[in-house]
Amino acid sequence: MNTQALGVEYYLTGMRAALDDLPPNEVAEIMEDVEAHIAELSSELGENESLEQRLGPPEQYAQELRQAAGYPPRTERLPVTTKKQLLTRPRAAVWGLVGATGVTLLAGAAALREPGILLLPAVILVLSLALVNDRGPAQQEIMNLPETIRLKKWLTPEPGTPAERAITYLRSLQPAWWLVRAGLLGLGAVLLAGRDILGFLAIAAVAVVSVFAGPRAKVDRRWLWFSLPASALAVGLLFQVIDVTAGQLGYNPSRSSYSGPVAETYENIYVYDENGKLLSNVTLYDQDGQPINARQGYTSCYDSDNGPEPVIPANRYPRPKVAYQNGRCYTVEPTVTAPSATSSAEPPSSASATPSSVPPTSVSPSK
Amino acid sequence: MDTSQLLKGVLDLAVLAVLRKDDGYGYDVVRRLRAGGLDEVGDASVYGTLRRLYNAGMLTSYVVPSEEGPHRKYYSINETGRARLAESRETWRSFASTLDGLLEEVAA
Repeated sequence: MNTQALGVEYYLTGMRAALDDLPPNEVAEIMEDVEAHIAELSSELGENESLEQRLGPPEQYAQELRQAAGYPPRTERLPVTTKKQLLTRPRAAVWGLVGATGVTLLAGAAALREPGILLLPAVILVLSLALVNDRGPAQQEIMNLPETIRLKKWLTPEPGTPAERAITYLRSLQPAWWLVRAGLLGLGAVLLAGRDILGFLAIAAVAVVSVFAGPRAKVDRRWLWFSLPASALAVGLLFQVIDVTAGQLGYNPSRSSYSGPVAETYENIYVYDENGKLLSNVTLYDQDGQPINARQGYTSCYDSDNGPEPVIPANRYPRPKVAYQNGRCYTVEPTVTAPSATSSAEPPSSASATPSSVPPTSVSPSK
Repeated sequence: MDTSQLLKGVLDLAVLAVLRKDDGYGYDVVRRLRAGGLDEVGDASVYGTLRRLYNAGMLTSYVVPSEEGPHRKYYSINETGRARLAESRETWRSFASTLDGLLEEVAA
């Protein structure tokens, strides 16, 4: 199998060399026919048969084909192309495609905010496709680049291996992906509709054409210049939609609940002695002598008859609460349930949790 | 007599004839010609002839993807091709009968 694959490559290379004085698009068309022919023939070959035994050497095959096709005979051996060119048109085109697809993926993730950014990959795509558009639907020169051959080998593992089964399975999902892709692109277009009419039209057009582009690219590789970036754009849009949705569902509540050090969330502090007796009028300071202030949850009452109450230091606990009754302001002693003797070491949970909800038992109108 | 020399002149006609009913890709056409009795026909000559007829506007082509191996390019005959086929058939018939007549005289 491997030696036969080698034989096919060798034979085709020989033919290409023998035809390389003809216009490139004509050679591409011929090679499209011949490749299928050689592949089919090589699968029919017996154990010890070679392509050359069946068809003669590639130069002879090329010569016979030239004659029958009415091409001019090859006049002279063309000078060997000066050195191996690194930057050929097919290579520039294929790397343009790869680059534009990558840029589209990144730009797609920002396309809803700034759809104009998609112009950059679009320009790269048009330019790179223009380089090879005349080379026919098979794009044989691109398929023969060393990097493409390596990629192809990587994508076609030995039959029967798990990798091969996985790739076969993924291939079977392709038509489903074309539909999902169109859906994602459509969603992106709809999300843009209210803000950017040009972006909406552009992405909607891509969505519609993408439905046809998938199957077309199987026949005409030039459609890959549309199909691959369309997929990248769909994935980029998906990322962005996930990001926006997650921002609305997950981030905001946690952000709003964040309010600085935990100590500040206490409204009041209740101090008990070793007998479980609630201490009153305790003044608290930290190690630096600074008052420890719980969040300011009260204001002093202002009595119109008697003037303002004496100011209570903010770090004196438990703090009084303020209540209103019949339009008058009262200072209320907060009452709490004393912690049980057994758990006196722990802070009184019921007290700290619900001081404000416990109804005042002793109401002392302020003087 | 070497039939391959004779074949060169009429391969156009033979290829158009086997494409008259059904479209076919290159190797398909080779097989049909061989099945029809032209054992000697060379693969490369058929492929070259297909290209020439295509370039002369008598055939159209379309590609059919194949799961394994390269895509297959199918050729189908169009109106120009059919007109040429009809015309060439007449030419061939009169030529063949002329030659038959000559051979009859020789035999007689």
